[in-house]
Amino acid sequence: MAKSTIYAGLEIGTHKICVVVGEAKRDGAIKILGVGQAPSRGVRKGEIVDFEKVQTCVNDALVRAEDRSDVMIRNVFLGVTGAHIESLNNRGRHRLPDEQTEIGEDDVEEAKEIARSVSIPQSNVFLHSVTRQYIVDGQEAVRQPIGREGRVLEADYHIIHGVRGRVQNAIRCVREIPLEVEDVVFNPVAAAQVVLTREAKMQGALMIDFGAGTCDYVLYEDGMITASGCVPLGGDHITNDVSMALQIPNGRAERLKVEEGSVLYEEVPEGEMLSIEDDTGLILGEIERAFLNEVMNLRTKEILIQVRVRVEDHLGRLGAGIYLTGGVSMMKGVDVVAREVFGIKVTRAGSAPVSGITATFENPQYSAPIGLIRYAQILDSEKPFLSPLKRLGRRMQELLSSITL
Amino acid sequence: MVEYDRSQSPEGASTAAPRICIVGVGGAGSNVVDRITLDRIVDATLVCAHTDVRVLGHSMAPVKIQLGAELMKGIGAGGDPDLGREAALFSRDQIRHSIENHDIIFISAGLGGGTGSGAAPVIAEIAKNTGALVLVVATMPFSFEGRRRLAQAEEALELLQKRADALVLFENNRMGELILPKDGIQKAFNQADQLIAQSLRAISTITTTPGLVKLGLDDLTSALANANGRCLFGFGEARGQNRGTEALKKALKSPLIDSGRLLHQTKNLLVHVAGGESLTLVEVEGVMKQLGRHVPDQTHILFGLGVDAKLGDAVAVTLISSLGLNQLNAHATAAPPSEMLQPRAEVTAPVAAPAPVFAPAPAAVTPAPAPKREVAARKAPAPYAPPVESTPDLLFKSAAFSSVPAVGEAFPLTSLHLEAAAPVQTQDPDVALVEEEEPAFEEHEPEPPVIAAAPVFASIPETARIPASTPVAKELADATRNGNGKESTLAAVVARSVTLQTEAAPAQDDLISFDEQHESTMISATAVLTRKSTADSQQTFSLGEEDRGRFKDTEPSIVQGEDLDVPTWMRLKKKLRR
Repeated sequence: MAKSTIYAGLEIGTHKICVVVGEAKRDGAIKILGVGQAPSRGVRKGEIVDFEKVQTCVNDALVRAEDRSDVMIRNVFLGVTGAHIESLNNRGRHRLPDEQTEIGEDDVEEAKEIARSVSIPQSNVFLHSVTRQYIVDGQEAVRQPIGREGRVLEADYHIIHGVRGRVQNAIRCVREIPLEVEDVVFNPVAAAQVVLTREAKMQGALMIDFGAGTCDYVLYEDGMITASGCVPLGGDHITNDVSMALQIPNGRAERLKVEEGSVLYEEVPEGEMLSIEDDTGLILGEIERAFLNEVMNLRTKEILIQVRVRVEDHLGRLGAGIYLTGGVSMMKGVDVVAREVFGIKVTRAGSAPVSGITATFENPQYSAPIGLIRYAQILDSEKPFLSPLKRLGRRMQELLSSITL
Repeated sequence: MVEYDRSQSPEGASTAAPRICIVGVGGAGSNVVDRITLDRIVDATLVCAHTDVRVLGHSMAPVKIQLGAELMKGIGAGGDPDLGREAALFSRDQIRHSIENHDIIFISAGLGGGTGSGAAPVIAEIAKNTGALVLVVATMPFSFEGRRRLAQAEEALELLQKRADALVLFENNRMGELILPKDGIQKAFNQADQLIAQSLRAISTITTTPGLVKLGLDDLTSALANANGRCLFGFGEARGQNRGTEALKKALKSPLIDSGRLLHQTKNLLVHVAGGESLTLVEVEGVMKQLGRHVPDQTHILFGLGVDAKLGDAVAVTLISSLGLNQLNAHATAAPPSEMLQPRAEVTAPVAAPAPVFAPAPAAVTPAPAPKREVAARKAPAPYAPPVESTPDLLFKSAAFSSVPAVGEAFPLTSLHLEAAAPVQTQDPDVALVEEEEPAFEEHEPEPPVIAAAPVFASIPETARIPASTPVAKELADATRNGNGKESTLAAVVARSVTLQTEAAPAQDDLISFDEQHESTMISATAVLTRKSTADSQQTFSLGEEDRGRFKDTEPSIVQGEDLDVPTWMRLKKKLRR
């Protein structure tokens, strides 16, 4: 294998489409070679609704990324999200044969198989199944069970699955560009690889990727992924609320939100007015700043409450608190609202420092695409015996068989 | 028609081995028989009965019966079970003639169509009258075949249940679901036929061939005993190294077992391991040990072991069990085709209930039901149908009348009628007429019986225990206690007590009250169900008209009945206004 591998991550977001090219060194370091970005059209709530528009946008982003990184991109890791993606934890229990006391490789495989054979809806497909831990005779948090003495081996899995058709559509859209999809990754899982440090994961952390279309989250406990999912609400909803409350077009509402908006309305002095301009600078009207902020606040709070509802059970065990990332996390005051909602420490974070274009990783908008590179690297280091080519082949086989339906 | 009786050919053997006859009724049934004929897997007389001559012409069965030749003129029943039944009644003698002199008669039919649902009960009745053991292997229609067929199937099922010694019921949906979506419909049906043919073969070999550890029909019935149960069946055969494990794996792979997942809930499981003379104890032990992983400890495993020289060096594992439709659906509802399945559950649950309601109504005790007929049109004919000792003709006509509860159409009404009927039984007819008016028109009427249901249910064992002096009642009480008031046992008990009724006259009063209470429980169950479904539908009504702005065309994000795509402030305002 070469000394370093170049990966490309593609995230088709609701607001922007982003291609990140990164070089993963053998020692684990990542260098960002280039980033290509284009505003996104034809995506709603994280899912592609208009193939052609999306393809044009992806092409734009791709060309830019290729230009900057001077790399021809053929394969990408595709980040997906959407309301249809769900997760669950499952345990597979395997009892060793009577005459055997030492856990062997076969037993681990057997336990894994049982854990993974969880019944998901017929139309769904597994996106990830991550080993959380092994349990030997009730002793938890065993990382490496092979060679241990034991009677009962349990494998604890976190399984993320989504509707096959919808995942397939995203892949198909990208393949028509044409780009090969090396792997499909659930966005927050990728983002967490660069946003959360190992320490944060050990202490327990909830990462919320607050994007335009969706609000994805991943929760880690004791270094193990415990919950993940997607709330199909995001920055677009805030914009929509603003646009409908102020009776202004969406585009202007978006700009107003980004430039002037804040989710803190209590401190705004009463009577402070904001003028709304159109493109030519003509003043269309005035609104009260507190009103704008209140509309935004209500929605933001609601979205975060939706996230809280889904992770309620684990909230007590988050030592490292909450990490907010994604575009909306740049909104003024969002951390204060999040703190109000969750009642624990909230950190706004972008990707952890990697070498390369520094401006990129500091921006929380790029957490997910950079995370894709990191994810790709982890994937490769975990499976050193399976070359990417083979993996690709297998993946494609899967795809082909399901596409020819 | 010329008859080749294959089972008769080895003259000497026929006395020892039970004579088996397999009758395929209707399209699905004849397909199964065809498959058996082709595979030559069972040594039996194969009979194909159909109304449609064209189907009969294609059939490969050695004995063919054209049902109702004069009546139907060789045309199919067109999905009408009444026609199918009439046709079968016309050809009664011919049917009897073909299936006489057999020890076991299998009847295979696809329920839901005209001939299958109509004629199969008639044939089952005739078969029963010949003194043979009658086993019915039936399939329920695919859900895409529509509600009407499902209703017909349920109706036929009801009739078959009374006549057959054992009923093996397959859920076509289950089979269809697990076939790859790209496979054609023909394959789906084919697969179903194949599975049924296999099960027929397995059952006949299990129950007839002598084994080291013998399984009899009693074991089979107890494996299948489940209120409204659907059969889970798996069969696997393998040879070579690890043949036992491989065979078990194959058996578990059967779509009806869903790689062993469905076995987690079964109460009884019949396992039959067969092999050639080379079968070793270790292999059998291995199979059972492995199977133990898929089956909870409390499951009753009915184990059978047979050595069959015909198998050579192969080992065959057969798994038979049953699971209530509700449990089965609970498994399946996880899948999105649940849109299709949900209405099914709704439909079938109330249907499941009436079985015991209708069967036992003791004719001798209730006053002549003439005035009540209008009140409870569906209920009244029941007294006419005591399952024993009546001529087939009368039986079928009245049974047709009772047309078990009207699946699908106007549930609330049905249940209301039944409610009205429940108190009517013992009171005098005049009161009934007065009462009839009210409940029929008040929509919210179901509520009181719901509340009443709880004490009623609880009191069942009590009523059963009080008259413990008479033999019938004693039996009843025992059975109730054993069964913990489960539907299946109750049904059985009631049915049995009805047959004994004439001998144990003093017990009658208690029996009736028992019967009634049971009935009202059932009814209130229906009422609850109906109510629940209306409540569900109401929730979805209120949505979708609000202003969602740019999310107009997207999939709504509904949480607790609120569409979260609608601006938060707008929803808050609405709430405040309320």
